[in-house]
Amino acid sequence: MATVAKTFSAAERRADFPILAREVRPGVPLVYLDSAATSQKPLVVLEALDRYYRHSNANVHRGIHTLAEEATALYEGGREKVKRFINAASTKEVIFTRNATEAINLVAYSWGRANIHAGDVIVYTAMEHHSNLVPWQMLAQEKGARIAIIPVTDGGELDLSGLDDILARQPRIVCVSQMSNVLGTINPVTEIAARAHAAGALVLVDAAQSVPHLPVDVRTLGADFIAFSGHKMCGPTGIGVLWGRQALLEEMPPFMGGGDMIRRVYLDSFKPNELPHKFEAGTPAIAESVGLGAAVDYLSGLGMEAVQAHEREIVTYALDRLEEVPGVKVYGPAANRRGGVAAFSLENVHPHDVAQVLDRDGIAIRAGHHCAMPLHDRYGLPATSRASFYLYNVPEDVDHLIDGLYKVKKMFG
Amino acid sequence: MPDRQEFIDFILDHYENPRHHGALDNPDVVMRGGNPGCGDIVTMYLKLGADERVEEVAFEGQGCTISQAAASIVTEKVLGKTLAEVTTLNHELVVEEMGREVVEHRIRCATLALNTVKAAGRKYHSGQATKSAAEAPVEDF
Repeated sequence: MATVAKTFSAAERRADFPILAREVRPGVPLVYLDSAATSQKPLVVLEALDRYYRHSNANVHRGIHTLAEEATALYEGGREKVKRFINAASTKEVIFTRNATEAINLVAYSWGRANIHAGDVIVYTAMEHHSNLVPWQMLAQEKGARIAIIPVTDGGELDLSGLDDILARQPRIVCVSQMSNVLGTINPVTEIAARAHAAGALVLVDAAQSVPHLPVDVRTLGADFIAFSGHKMCGPTGIGVLWGRQALLEEMPPFMGGGDMIRRVYLDSFKPNELPHKFEAGTPAIAESVGLGAAVDYLSGLGMEAVQAHEREIVTYALDRLEEVPGVKVYGPAANRRGGVAAFSLENVHPHDVAQVLDRDGIAIRAGHHCAMPLHDRYGLPATSRASFYLYNVPEDVDHLIDGLYKVKKMFG
Repeated sequence: MPDRQEFIDFILDHYENPRHHGALDNPDVVMRGGNPGCGDIVTMYLKLGADERVEEVAFEGQGCTISQAAASIVTEKVLGKTLAEVTTLNHELVVEEMGREVVEHRIRCATLALNTVKAAGRKYHSGQATKSAAEAPVEDF
């Protein structure tokens, strides 16, 4: 049955985000177009953090006193909410990390060092963020493993024409982002996962740009691991998630050692704790779990189909308007194949200059390589400018961006 | 002190009308500096006279306005100075000249050319100076 996306009014939802009311400097309102880097936070998240610290703050687990029990219930409550948000089978599969980067590193260190041997093949794509490249490069260097790369087409999509040849080399793991943080491309991860599994490989999906912006159900996605960050989905910084299949996580050795990840410690050895605590050494990000739980409730209230539909509308409008501006070139696929991200260049003006001039008018975009240097090399670009959108962006934000770009052109014309 | 717009006009003037732009035919030292974070590159050429005084200077490069305008400004600063003087030049010199408010968040772009020319001086003193741009590797600053 086709589901019809519930709708919400982005203009009304802006009132939920206190920061959107600020002026960057007197008389210059903020136009925030950098949500792919980090999202803004709704009041319900700020209040949840504040309430936790004012009312319940204590360390978690093993506490007998009331506050410790409350803090534990709140921390684990955040995990339960995340579990439901991504439709995980159990909270044992939801490991809290610092961010998506740490989640990927956890897999590369724990699973990777136990399972990757000299000559093994690791696959990733040419559109990955550095966080889904460098941990695998480090692992490959250490183990003498080989790397195979799924290339990117001129149009900014994965070129799967050589995938069968790559899979014929029997890779151990295939690492792919569900949505590019530069091009906005939404990749066919379910298809890639099915083919990779048929070849005997595991699949890790970098979901840092997808979980915040579209519905993700780990039971139908087909991945074995997914990684995402709380701060890109209305939650606080300092908390991220690794979801993994329970059977795999059970087999994996611990990542970091310390308190909480152990069941029993002897002077010369230890027994690891159960999932998910086995991978959570030391005092975790307690308030951040509470905040992430509030963020997940907020997003669920809007409906992720509706969030995606809204961003599709905004990015469609943004691409139309950007293409009106002489000298602007937008990278990546058509609006109906991407999320709310538009990376572009403006002829004869360096992206940092574009961003600095826009900033004078309160318009926050990002300029640089967006932690995807190899992808920029692919297009022969040192850097791009990137506008990225979220549930609180309105068409007027795009209009401000376009007006700003004409100003840039005038300045450098 | 000039206001923000005057600093911007000054920077744009150096960007659009760069001083000492191009290559030198027989330089005593060529140094290439890069800023991998944003892809700016400058190549500095120096020709030295008595006392290792900079008799001729030129630069080529590509990148953002700040990095290229700064290179133009730096050529004016080093001309006529001895290499010893060049290697003691301070970042503040460029930052103040270009306007702290305008360049404070882009210090790496603003100081790329100065870092490159100072490294050229050190390289010359070490006896390992490269005299051809084609042979000079891009060093990250």
